Amino acid sequence: MWSDWETISAFISQACPGLLTVIMVLAAPLVGALLMGIDRKITARIQGRIGPPILQPVYDVFKLFAKEPLFLNRLYIFYAWLYLAFMILVVVLLAMGQDILMVLFVHAFATIALILGAMSVRSPYSRIGASRKIMQMVAYEPILILFVVGIYLSTPHPHSFLASAVMQLKQPLLFTLPLLLPAYFAAVVIKMEKSPFDVSSGHHAHQELIRGVTIEYSGPFLALIEIAHFYEVFILFLIMAMFWSTNLWIGAGIALAGFFAQILVDNASPRLTTFWMIRFMWAGPMLLALCNIIWLYGMGRG
Amino acid sequence: MGEWLLILLILAPVAFGLLAWAAPGDRSRGWAVTVGALATIALSLVFAVTAKTGESWISLADLFGGRTEWLAFGLELLIAIVVAVIAVRVRSRLILALALVQIGLAVAEEWFSLRAAPALPGADFRIDTLAIVMVSIVSIIGSIIAIYALGYMKHHQAHAPATAQGSGRFFFVLVGFLGMMNGLVLADNLRWLTIFWEATTLCSFALIGHDGTPESRKNARLALLINSFGGVAMMLGSLLALSGSGVEHLSGITAANRALIPLAFLALAAFTKSAQLPFQSWLLGAMVAPTPVSALLHSATMVKAGVYLILRLAPGFTGSRVMFAIALAGAFSFAAAAALAVGQSNAKKVLAYSTISNLGLIIACAGINTPLAYATAMMLLLFHAIVKALLFLCVGTIEQKIGSRDIEDMGVVMFELPVTTLMALVGMASMLTPPFGMLVCKWMAIESAIASPLILLFLILGSALTLFFWAKWLGRIQTVSYHATLTREKLPLSILSAEYILGGGVVLTAIMGIPLFQILFAPLAVQTYQGIVISAESLSILDSVGGLDICLIMLFIALAAIANMLTGRYFKPERVRLPFLSGENVVTDARTFRFRGLKDEPDEAWTTALYLDTVFTETKITQWTNWLAILVLLTMFALVVGI
Repeated sequence: MWSDWETISAFISQACPGLLTVIMVLAAPLVGALLMGIDRKITARIQGRIGPPILQPVYDVFKLFAKEPLFLNRLYIFYAWLYLAFMILVVVLLAMGQDILMVLFVHAFATIALILGAMSVRSPYSRIGASRKIMQMVAYEPILILFVVGIYLSTPHPHSFLASAVMQLKQPLLFTLPLLLPAYFAAVVIKMEKSPFDVSSGHHAHQELIRGVTIEYSGPFLALIEIAHFYEVFILFLIMAMFWSTNLWIGAGIALAGFFAQILVDNASPRLTTFWMIRFMWAGPMLLALCNIIWLYGMGRG
Repeated sequence: MGEWLLILLILAPVAFGLLAWAAPGDRSRGWAVTVGALATIALSLVFAVTAKTGESWISLADLFGGRTEWLAFGLELLIAIVVAVIAVRVRSRLILALALVQIGLAVAEEWFSLRAAPALPGADFRIDTLAIVMVSIVSIIGSIIAIYALGYMKHHQAHAPATAQGSGRFFFVLVGFLGMMNGLVLADNLRWLTIFWEATTLCSFALIGHDGTPESRKNARLALLINSFGGVAMMLGSLLALSGSGVEHLSGITAANRALIPLAFLALAAFTKSAQLPFQSWLLGAMVAPTPVSALLHSATMVKAGVYLILRLAPGFTGSRVMFAIALAGAFSFAAAAALAVGQSNAKKVLAYSTISNLGLIIACAGINTPLAYATAMMLLLFHAIVKALLFLCVGTIEQKIGSRDIEDMGVVMFELPVTTLMALVGMASMLTPPFGMLVCKWMAIESAIASPLILLFLILGSALTLFFWAKWLGRIQTVSYHATLTREKLPLSILSAEYILGGGVVLTAIMGIPLFQILFAPLAVQTYQGIVISAESLSILDSVGGLDICLIMLFIALAAIANMLTGRYFKPERVRLPFLSGENVVTDARTFRFRGLKDEPDEAWTTALYLDTVFTETKITQWTNWLAILVLLTMFALVVGI
């Protein structure tokens, strides 16, 4: 009985209304940090290194908070806060079962806040990173909107954009959105800044962009960005798990498979140019997403 | 009383404009414009408050007795003759030809109406919620721009070329424009509609050509040409309505059983006025005019006339394939204009393309033609008017300060013009970020477009490109180094107050977006679609907007702001660092952004945003999109004749 979301959420909200939101807001960064730790471990093993402890991302954040706060201007610190606030808001909106189109917009704005923060300093590396981050958004944002449209069309009549409606589906989303799963996966690879799409913010210091968008953040302010990133990792794979919302175990399995797949992709592919990314995303995954949507209309779900 | 208010709304701006023209000096002209602007605002408010619920109709014949049709016919002819005279003066055969066609059409229409009484009698003017909302937008935002213009023109006239016209004539046209626009949105009789329609064309011609330079004269001529073409389309539409279905009123066209041919011609006229592709060139040319003119053309007047007309006609044609073609044309303009904006670094050009793009979105929503889409279109219209006015005013102020309208030159404004820049930031942010109204509108637009996948696809692609060009610009103007205090801005009162009021308006619509929708726009949509067969689902979806938790978003922004204030104690000058320049920063007492380059020569670190001008080349895209847009328009006409 503990395999479907409705039972769990009903149980928790019966115990205490709003508790579910609190649990999710608190658990999200931990899950995200854990996933990132596992990511680093596996990557290290693939590359023949031992790798850091699984909890290294958490240690990093604590260490960053202890450092002296240095800054370039006031404005970009505010954007770091906004980035974090909007990531948390995404989790809150999802936990409350709100409109997923709005969730998508809020999520997009979190990224925009990061971009604007990077653009408010006169640092060439961070500005180039920000420009490329915009290109990344142009590459994946249409796919995410199509994904939301696909979810809407998958809900029974009258259609609904509410996240809670997705959780009440009688049939897994994967059955109606089979082509959107790979398309969404490609978007996740971009969002996770993984090769071949890690153009705006390199994980490796030897890249031409150094650290890209977040290069000018340091100390506690960088910690804010890191925590926001934990939230984002959680959100991305939570949404991937929604592809099989009728059984949480299978959903988690899909999310985990996607998680390992993106580590493999990261390690197996070279870093490609921004334009290659746009061309690839608009030609490949976007076409997949479109086909899926057209198919749904063809099935008379419009 | 309503009828006299209506006449005052049209004539008072013209009268105050005349006063401003006749005023002997700058001071008295300032008074005439200020009083005229405030009076127009007051009149529109009184008009909105005292208006009866539902529709009311007003005929000039009831007020003055006798045959006022002759007045309308005379004015129509007079305007066409004025256009012809201008055509001769600017030596344009094309405009002359269009003017002559207009004269011919006016005479033909008169002949038709004399020969047979119209099948559907009607009134000259109609007052309903749509008209009241439009009058408020025109009068309030237009008046604020007129007040701003007082401060702007003082500076402008000091630097204007010798060929420029006097300030008096400028303010006469600028303020009088509002009266014409008010008439346009109130007119129901097609003849009066045409009169005001053509009058706004003449006003914009005079304003665009204000500076009298060869470029501004050329662009004014272009605006007159394209809009006269629109005028011909409108008169042809009314003539066909009269000869075909015997109607001479807008309300008649929507009521007469599917008067599709007049609809298509009126839509064509609306596209020219709203500068939709392929008619966008006149609006781009209009940016040579002084900034208040651009602000006025883009926000409260002129381009809004086109979308108003589509909104007025749409509910009469639910489920029609022609409306689908109109929606398609709008959605196409939305995406194509956004693509065109991506390659531009000229601030005014970006604003112009974004206007075309947003108007396309409004037309797309109007064409989708469900209550939710209709309410979305109205909200977009309102927000766009406020935001575009604000952005143009800010860009004008910035341009006067830094002497450039190139976006990449605007890296210094945050320090030098903090107030104006903050207002511009608010305006731009409102175009793409929550919790501002525009985003709610985009949300509603996507929800409404879900039934028509092709339109939806254009909306999605256009949204991505919109994000691209706004984010670049936002990033540039907010660039700032650490300063303990920012410069204090010295601006004329008229400019500052206009910026504050409009900036406040943007924030207010963000806070009030959802309530405004629930109180004003949703009932407006329901009322508009009353008695028209639509699905119950399309009505119930209106309620889902209320489920949006804008307060929650506000709360989180407030939390971020509070957290930022709490971190404020760390912001000390000694903690400020220079950006990372590979460790090669040139270190001096002053903070610079130079690095040691070749042979240790200091070099400025400088990057520009991506404009991708090899991909988004304006000429190339314009060519392609214009052909496609023409194809869409031809499709619309093909659908009308039933191919």
